[in-house]
Amino acid sequence: MAEPMLRLQGVHKRFGALEVLKGVDLDVQRGEVVCILGPSGSGKSTLLRCVNLLEPPEEGEIFLEGKDICKGPGSGTGEQSWNLDFVRQRVGMVFQQFNLFPHKSVMENVTMAPEKVLGRSKTEAREKATALLERVGLGDKLNQYPERLSGGQQQRVAIARALAMEPHVMLFDEVTSALDPELVKEVLDTMRELASEGMTMLVVTHEMGFAKEVGDQVVFMDGGVIVEQGRPADVLDNPREERTKKFLGLVLER
Amino acid sequence: MSEFFHQYFDFHVMGAHFSEILDGFFKNLLVFVVAALLVLAWGLALALLRQLPGRKFLPVRGLTIAYIDVFRAIPVLIVILLISGGIPFLQFIPKDIRIPHWFGQPDPYWYGVLALTLVYGAYMAEVYRAGIEAIPGGQMEAARSLGMSHMQAMRHVIVPQAITKIPAPMLNELISLLKDTSLVGVIALGESVLVGREVLAESFNSSAIILAGAMFLVITLPLARLVDYLIKRNQAKIARGSHIEVA
Repeated sequence: MAEPMLRLQGVHKRFGALEVLKGVDLDVQRGEVVCILGPSGSGKSTLLRCVNLLEPPEEGEIFLEGKDICKGPGSGTGEQSWNLDFVRQRVGMVFQQFNLFPHKSVMENVTMAPEKVLGRSKTEAREKATALLERVGLGDKLNQYPERLSGGQQQRVAIARALAMEPHVMLFDEVTSALDPELVKEVLDTMRELASEGMTMLVVTHEMGFAKEVGDQVVFMDGGVIVEQGRPADVLDNPREERTKKFLGLVLER
Repeated sequence: MSEFFHQYFDFHVMGAHFSEILDGFFKNLLVFVVAALLVLAWGLALALLRQLPGRKFLPVRGLTIAYIDVFRAIPVLIVILLISGGIPFLQFIPKDIRIPHWFGQPDPYWYGVLALTLVYGAYMAEVYRAGIEAIPGGQMEAARSLGMSHMQAMRHVIVPQAITKIPAPMLNELISLLKDTSLVGVIALGESVLVGREVLAESFNSSAIILAGAMFLVITLPLARLVDYLIKRNQAKIARGSHIEVA
């Protein structure tokens, strides 16, 4: 098999005395969609945040396109100074709370990083942003400010903003959890489309239908470790582990 | 009662010294305007130094906090006296800097501006800090996840939002700054209160000082009303559930 896009080996993350990740191993192939499920506090969001070094792990290795992003000066000290450019230019992230910049228009939200970080010209950045925003169905909202948009629209802007940096991997951290039920679909549809275009995606979600339909791999986490992983049909329909069964029972009961 | 009015509100004394007091008050304003600009810049610099992340910058953060604490904890008058009574005698400093006469202003003017900037910069740093800390952590995370450096995120994302949340406390500090320009009179800058004191010394009448006070009121009272308005507007915004300012 080809070199994995992303490989996690024995990743540990502690916040003081609290150990949130207790040794996580995971391989993600290029173009694969990995859905991460688990109860709150299981470490799934922290795992995503380790991958783009928002929370650098204390132990273990993370290989991105074969390069160990945890190695280098300052690693393990909590300093966020090593390999950051390499990682952040390859890994895009979308957050539960959207985190759009409220003082900037939709267009400026998307063009800011390409201009400031990649040094793109304003024209170039705007052209690209327009195309991306049209792709997520917001071509008519370019000059609006985020507070004028619905949650679903804001989240689609956030996706376009991350895509503007041309990432190789996209991280989605419970991106539909803060949305009203009727707005969930438009965001999931955007993600579906992205997956079908071959984007490598790590998706922390409670949307079982999405995981089953779009996921190539489903990972169930609890207590800082991966309890069970495999093809969606196997994990979701025929879970082997007690903890997975219990969790799925509670989720599907709704 | 008429004796009281004569002591404090003698219009003849006020009229006789009006233009001197007004000239003095223009000096207060001139100290204020230049110091205010420097305070806004220096305060922001201090606030940014205080927010530098990581273990590497621990000494910088420590020194900045120490500076802010000390300069907020000592009287402005002491700083003015230490600067005006010390710097002119430090021979290792070039004379043009030791005894500055830039832009046609005398050295007490620049000593006063420097002292007020040092002290009010510390106060203003705390105002900026309140604004910066009022921005949700997700903003910094989003900016960093897009590849921006800490400083880029501060400049393009955090600070522009932070300053929209602090106009009221910022104005409060500026009102205090304007009032404290009267302290520069002790090092013989002929500002309005010093002129008023000279009138008092020769006439034993306080009306000229009242006049100086009235000139301050003309500027500071509307500003105080403006602060009140900004706080009320902010509360209305919070009630509507949109932006939160630091009151």
